[in-house]
Amino acid sequence: MEGLAPIDGWVIAAIIAGAMGYGAALLAMGGPLFAVVFPAANADVRQLARKVAVIAALVGLAVLALRFGIRAARISGMGLPGAVDPMMLGFVWDSPLGAAAIWRGSGELLVVALLIRGIVGLSAGLIGALLIAVSYTFVGHSLGDPRWLLASLLTLHLLAAGFWIGALLSLRHAVGQPDGARLLHRFGNVASFTVALLVVVGLIFAWLMTGSLSNLLSTAYGWTLLAKLGVVSGLMALAALNKWRFVPALASGAPAAVPHLRRSIQIEAGAVLLILLATATLTSITTPPVNL
Amino acid sequence: MRQMTLALLVLAATATGALARSKAEQTMPANEATVAMVKAIEMRFDDPMHVTAITLTGPDGDVSIERETGIDAVTEFRALPPAGLPDGAYTVDWRGLSSDGHPMQGTFSFEIAD
Repeated sequence: MEGLAPIDGWVIAAIIAGAMGYGAALLAMGGPLFAVVFPAANADVRQLARKVAVIAALVGLAVLALRFGIRAARISGMGLPGAVDPMMLGFVWDSPLGAAAIWRGSGELLVVALLIRGIVGLSAGLIGALLIAVSYTFVGHSLGDPRWLLASLLTLHLLAAGFWIGALLSLRHAVGQPDGARLLHRFGNVASFTVALLVVVGLIFAWLMTGSLSNLLSTAYGWTLLAKLGVVSGLMALAALNKWRFVPALASGAPAAVPHLRRSIQIEAGAVLLILLATATLTSITTPPVNL
Repeated sequence: MRQMTLALLVLAATATGALARSKAEQTMPANEATVAMVKAIEMRFDDPMHVTAITLTGPDGDVSIERETGIDAVTEFRALPPAGLPDGAYTVDWRGLSSDGHPMQGTFSFEIAD
């Protein structure tokens, strides 16, 4: 198979850290987005959304440091001593990851400012979410041509993904709440647009990276992308089931709707985890066919 | 999670020595070539490559080589082995950072024989 890098323990570590970094970044972005889209949600639910975002932002900062070490170890060829080698860390800092780290780190710190109540905290969180999304356009495959189109597509993709993934825990919490059905219904309506946007910009990005259908089947990038799309399709089916079946059932007071919806959201979270791992694999060890 | 681990293991098992994110680089000596002597070790890349580490391993273990190329990103990298390398099989291993920030690595081998 074409376009697959050699794999060792450090590469596996890089994939896992990459997926953790994505998860943390998306959850951190999701909190402020949730707060601004659903200002009327139950205080308890909004509080949870904020808490999740702040914890995720702090985890994100730690993962960022970890990724620096892993990358330094990989480029040093020395293993663990390379992870703390000042010269190797300096090389990583001077690479695109350095610039990305400044934006992402600043963004995650601003999300921590969600702890400040009111408009100040929320504004900081929203700017933070945008900085985190933009930070991903400084490194990796989106640096190709056409640069601005790829960067814009990726930023939109990440903001839409953050909105969805960041909302999952709060939605699960809202299931048992008195006005939960109303929030879930509203989320379903907003998500109809944001999830469509997420998928469409993702597909355009993937098409620009792949170039042709035959490249999908002959490259490691193509197969990993297909695996990701497979899980995404399952997730879409589940989301549709929630929107058209379980949420209306919850609204009509059917007792079985509560456990159904909770379990469904948990499975969604599991699917998201697989998607993040597939994405980290895609960005860590495969080469887009257009670059081969 | 277990399925993902399995998928990663399958990926690992099927991974070739192929270089990611760059067309196969040209090297001097060429990969798997047999040469009488080696004056310099050279690598060419399509896009500027920041070569962060390079090692030469010969029949008697690691051979120290002197980098002629500094630490900047280059499309042509050059390093000098000591004169009079003994006959035998040699392997070059290198690590680097590509211009988009991806860690890169590659390896090639050659043989010195009269």
